[in-house]
Amino acid sequence: MKVAVVGSGLAGFTAYQTLRRELAPEEIAVFGVEDDPAATFSRRATAIRQREMRSESDGHCSPVSFPGLSLRAAVRRRSPAPLAGALTDRFHPTVPEFLDHVERLRERSGWSRSLVRGRIERVHAVERGFELDGYGVFEHVLLAPGHPGLNVPEELRDDPRAVHSYEPHDYACTVTVVGAGLAAATEWLNALAAGAEVVSVRRREPLRRPLNVPRELLTRRGLAGFHRLPGHERAERLRTLLTPSYPPGRQWDEPLAHAEVEGRFRVEQSVNGSAQVICATGFLHGFRHDALLSNLVDAYGLETVGDWIVLDPDGTVPSLTRVGRTLALAGAPAQWAYPGADSIGGAKVVAHAFLRRVRACRTR
Amino acid sequence: MSYSLRGRVESRLATLVPVVAAACVLTAVLHRWWPIEAAGLMLGLGVALDVQAYHRLLPYQPGWAALPLGLLELGILVVLMRAAGVAAPIWEAVALFAGGWTVAQALGHAGFPLLRLSYMEDGGELGRLGVASAVAAGALLAGAGATAYALRPPVVHLAAGVHQGPLVITRREVLVGDPGAIVRGGIVVHAKDVTIKNVAVVGGVNGITIDGYRGTMLDGVSVSGAKLDGIHVRLAGVVIKNCTVDMLGNPLGQGIDISYNMDMGMSMVEGCTIMGGMEGITTHSSMTQVMDNHVSRTTMRGISVTEMSMGMVMDNEVRAAHGIGIWCNDRSMCSIEHNTVVDTSGSGYGVLASFQSEADLRGNQLTANPVPFGAIVNSEVATTH
Repeated sequence: MKVAVVGSGLAGFTAYQTLRRELAPEEIAVFGVEDDPAATFSRRATAIRQREMRSESDGHCSPVSFPGLSLRAAVRRRSPAPLAGALTDRFHPTVPEFLDHVERLRERSGWSRSLVRGRIERVHAVERGFELDGYGVFEHVLLAPGHPGLNVPEELRDDPRAVHSYEPHDYACTVTVVGAGLAAATEWLNALAAGAEVVSVRRREPLRRPLNVPRELLTRRGLAGFHRLPGHERAERLRTLLTPSYPPGRQWDEPLAHAEVEGRFRVEQSVNGSAQVICATGFLHGFRHDALLSNLVDAYGLETVGDWIVLDPDGTVPSLTRVGRTLALAGAPAQWAYPGADSIGGAKVVAHAFLRRVRACRTR
Repeated sequence: MSYSLRGRVESRLATLVPVVAAACVLTAVLHRWWPIEAAGLMLGLGVALDVQAYHRLLPYQPGWAALPLGLLELGILVVLMRAAGVAAPIWEAVALFAGGWTVAQALGHAGFPLLRLSYMEDGGELGRLGVASAVAAGALLAGAGATAYALRPPVVHLAAGVHQGPLVITRREVLVGDPGAIVRGGIVVHAKDVTIKNVAVVGGVNGITIDGYRGTMLDGVSVSGAKLDGIHVRLAGVVIKNCTVDMLGNPLGQGIDISYNMDMGMSMVEGCTIMGGMEGITTHSSMTQVMDNHVSRTTMRGISVTEMSMGMVMDNEVRAAHGIGIWCNDRSMCSIEHNTVVDTSGSGYGVLASFQSEADLRGNQLTANPVPFGAIVNSEVATTH
C-alpha cells in the first residue's frame, strides 16, 4: 500500500474519493476512528439545527463537480428550481441531501475496505516515504486531522450557563449568543424560533458573504496573487479572510428585524445575565492545538508563520516532500495554501493536487 | 466561476473546436463559405471579448451570465458579418451560433470538469487539452483558409475594346473587364459561381443570361440595347450590384427579370440604375431583395414583385413610371420600405397590391402619383409611418 489518508472526516473522505479515480481501495489506507465520514459534521449540524449547507451545487465529496447536487435535487424533487438556483448561485443543498450523497459515495467507493481504525499520533519521514505509528511506510500521505477542538472563550470555560453551539442543547428563555459567524446567525434564529429573548455578543459587526471566502479565491485567478504574498502578509490576509461571516439574504434579516422591533433581539458588548450562553465561536485554531501537527513541526523544524504551517501552493509540506514521496495537509491546516481549504470545495482542491502527485510518482 | 485569462481563452477555443468542425462540414455540404467565415468571426470576437472585456469586468461569472453574454456576442457577430460582407442566411447563422453556445454550456458545466478534475479551481484552464484545442481550432481555420485560397476561381481579364459575343462562360471564373471592355451580342452564364465585373454589354437577345446556375455575382456591369431583358435570370441565384441597364427605346423589354428561383435562397439587386423598358425590375416566384436602385421612365411598372414572390423593396427611387411605381401582385408578400415613387403617369398608382397579395408599407415617399397607393382584388396594404 502506497497512499495513506490520516483522518476519516469529510476532508479525508473527499481525498479518498479523488484517489479512487486512480487507485483501488486496497491501495489506500484511511486512518480514523469513525466509520461514517460525516459523523462529526452531522453531530454539529444537528446541534445548531442547520437545515441547509452554506456550500452550493458543487459542494459535494465527488471528485468531479458534475453532476452537482442541484441536478440530483432537480431529479429527486422533479423540479427545475434547483437548477435555476444553481445558475443564480442561490441553490444550497439541504443537510439531508448532502448527507445522503455522502452515504451513497461511501457505499459504492469501498471506503470500509480502506478504513483502518486507529489514531495516528506521529509521522516519521523515512527514505521511501513516511512511517505511520507502526502501520508501515507510505509513499504519499495526506494529513486531514480536522479541527483540533471547539473554541470556548477563556472567561466562559467555567460558566455553568455556557454551552458550545456544536454541542447538543436546547434553548432557555433568555439566551446570549457569542460570535458573529454562520453558527451564531443560525443560533439567533433558532433561539428566536424557540421563543427566547436573544442577545448577540460580538467583537465586530458580522461580515456578510455567500461563501466562507471570496469566490475569486476559489480558483487560480485569485490564488495566484495570494500565493505571491510574503509570509507575514499572507498570514495577515488569512486572518482577514477567515473573519467569521454568514451569507446575505432575507431569510436571515427578516426574522432578526421582526425580533428587534418586538424587543426580543439586541446586540450587547458583553455577556449579561441571560439564563444560557451559547458559544458560537467555532474551533480552536492553529497547528499547536493538534498533537500530530505540533509533533511534526517540532520533529522536523517545519517553517511556520503564526498559527500556520507553511505549505506549497499544492498543499504539500515543502521540506518533507520530494520526488517519490509526498506529505500534504487538508482541511483547516491547509489554509496557508488554499484559504477555502476548510470547506468541501477546498478539500477537493487539495485532493486534486494530491492525486496529481500520486499519479506523477506511480511506478506500477 | 472565476476564470483566469488563460482559462477563458482556452475554454473558449476548446468549445469552438466542434463549432469550427461543424462549420467545415456545413461548408462542404452547402458549397458556401459563410459557415467557416462565421465561425472564424465567432472565434475572433470571442477571444477579443475575453481578453479586452470579460477578464477585466467579470472577476467572477455566475452561470446565468452566459445567456446575456451570449446574446451580446450574437448581436455583435451579426453586425460584424454584415460589415465584413459575410453572405450568411441570418437564421442559419443564428442556428450555428446557438448550437455553438449550447455546446459551450454543456462542455463548460459538464464536459470539461469530467475531462479535467481541476478545471474549476484552475479557472477554466485545460492544460494540454487547451493547447491542443487552440492548435486544432487554428489548424481547422487555417486549413479552410488554405482551401479557399486554393479554390479561388481563375480571374480572366477582358481587354479594352469590343468583343463579339455572345460570350458563353462555361466554367467557374471571375471575368473582369478592363476599362473600355465591351461585349457585343450578350453574355450567357453556363456555370455556377461565376463573377462578372465591370463589363459593358451591348445588344443581344438578353444582355446577360443566367439560367439554372447558382452563385452568380454581377458587379458594375452595364447593359444596353438588349432585345428582351437586360439581365435575364431563370432558376438561378444571383447578386447584382451597381449595374446600369439602359432599355430606352424598347417599350416591351425588361431591365432585370429574376424568375422561378424560390428554391435558390435569397437573391439581391442593389445599387442599380435602370432606364426604360416595360418593367425596370421584376421578380416572379422569387425571394429577392431590391435595394437602393434607381428606376425611371418605364412604360408599365417600375418594380414588380409578382407570382407568389416574397420580397423586400427598400430605399429605391422610382421616377416617371407610366402605370405603376411598385407593384405587389399575384399572391406575393412584399415589404416596401423607405422608397421614393414620384411622377407616375397614366391613371396608375404609386404602389399597388393586387390579386390576393399583401404589402407592408413603411416610410415611403409617394409624391405626384395619380393614386398614392391602393389594393385591389382581395389584396391588403398595411401602412406604418
